[in-house]
Amino acid sequence: MIDIPGKYWRASDGIHIDVRGLSAPEPMVSILRVIEAHEAENTIQVHHFCDPIYLYPELTERGWSCEIIPGEPDEVRLVLTRDK
Amino acid sequence: MTLAASFLGGARDRLLPASIPFRFFVAATLFHILAWTMLLAGAGELPEFAGGPGLILAALHLLTIGVLVIAAMGASYQLLPVAARHPLSRSWPAKLSFWLITPGTAVLAIGMVDASTGMLYVGGAGVSIGLLIFAGLTADNLWRASAMPIVAAHGWAALAALLGFLGLGLSLLADFDVGFLADRQIIATMHMILAAFGFMGLLVFGFSHILIPMFVLSRTLPVRIGWLEFFLAACAVLMTIFGLLYGNYLLVIMAALIGLAASASYFWLMRCALATRMRKRLGLSFILIYISWIMLAFSLLTGLAVSMELPIPNGSTLFGFLAIVGWLLTFLMGILQRIIPFLASMHAAGKNNVPPLLSELTTEGPLKVHAACHFVALVSCSAGIILNTPILVTMGAGLGTIGALAFSVFVGHVVLKLNPSR
Repeated sequence: MIDIPGKYWRASDGIHIDVRGLSAPEPMVSILRVIEAHEAENTIQVHHFCDPIYLYPELTERGWSCEIIPGEPDEVRLVLTRDK
Repeated sequence: MTLAASFLGGARDRLLPASIPFRFFVAATLFHILAWTMLLAGAGELPEFAGGPGLILAALHLLTIGVLVIAAMGASYQLLPVAARHPLSRSWPAKLSFWLITPGTAVLAIGMVDASTGMLYVGGAGVSIGLLIFAGLTADNLWRASAMPIVAAHGWAALAALLGFLGLGLSLLADFDVGFLADRQIIATMHMILAAFGFMGLLVFGFSHILIPMFVLSRTLPVRIGWLEFFLAACAVLMTIFGLLYGNYLLVIMAALIGLAASASYFWLMRCALATRMRKRLGLSFILIYISWIMLAFSLLTGLAVSMELPIPNGSTLFGFLAIVGWLLTFLMGILQRIIPFLASMHAAGKNNVPPLLSELTTEGPLKVHAACHFVALVSCSAGIILNTPILVTMGAGLGTIGALAFSVFVGHVVLKLNPSR
């Protein structure tokens, strides 16, 4: 595991990162750090406070896509997927 | 529809229509060409410029309002609502501000060349109302920006400076007509300090807290030093204004020293961002940003020397040139070449509705030409001012014009990649 701002854990469905409570641009930086630290992972779940629109160009640049899935009421849950 | 398509569809709804920020960026790009061209036409007047109507005054306002302010408006309208997590409720005031300030700037510049009071009043009114709408929209965003108090503090102080330089600017315009000001030169200097250091300078410092960590992918900046930087910068501007107002030049000298301390704090913050960055290759844009930071230090040292009445030939003009062109314009050009493709990638849809790579939107060639021309123009014009040699200013302004044309090729390339429906 790496040292990043925000909560970060491994669950049965893969790695999760919770960036709620962080101020800009730390959510984006934390997510990208997790992506770069886990080259073998193909899926990462993100618990965010909003739709992180500035993250998308960075994800595309790194060959990742994402999708919003249902989550808790106070979050935007994202599933990041490495493009094949 | 792919997963990415459904996802990005939702994301795009939270962005302003691309036409809003991009109309400001395109206008700023065109004013950039016009400003350098106007400076080229009036190159002989620059070294000993001390205010008053003519080509240099027009070039100065094409650059400050036309390029710096209009680009800052476009960037603020797009970035602040996202950073503050509250979208703009309506987009028409932003559009209205554009349609007031853009023709207003052009008419104001023509009025300054011709010394035509009618044109000055009409242009000044357009610019003023456009700026007041921008101030209202920005204040609404800042009011909601509780998650970023340091950025908001810079924003509020910048808006206060905006009201100050706008009031002084309008009184200078009226003075062209009826000549009521006792000391026009002091009012003009206060107007310049509030506009360049108070409004644009504090916006640059404030936005740097978000933009630089976002571009280099670093940790957030140390909060205490951030507040210290804000306090010192705001104090320096206020003390300069009061020093000029009451003819107390000791206060102006102290203000310049505090301004240097504010810049040192700012550089420390930027160093923290660079030291913790994830992105190792920062590219050409950061070469311009580094140059702008050096120019900020040079401009403040020149201002200090001028306020201490040290013998720098054409020192006041050099101070203004280093601050406005050396620091602010160079910084803006570095930021724009990052932000324009970045915003475009969020709006541009490819065949699969997936955002294009930033590298597909950026054209390196024109940016290299711009950076080289801009740097040589800075050195050549500065040398022309110090040595009182108009031919050096002519060469510099010519290169600046070529650089501005090259930059417009880059902006045009990005704009053409945008989906026309956005």
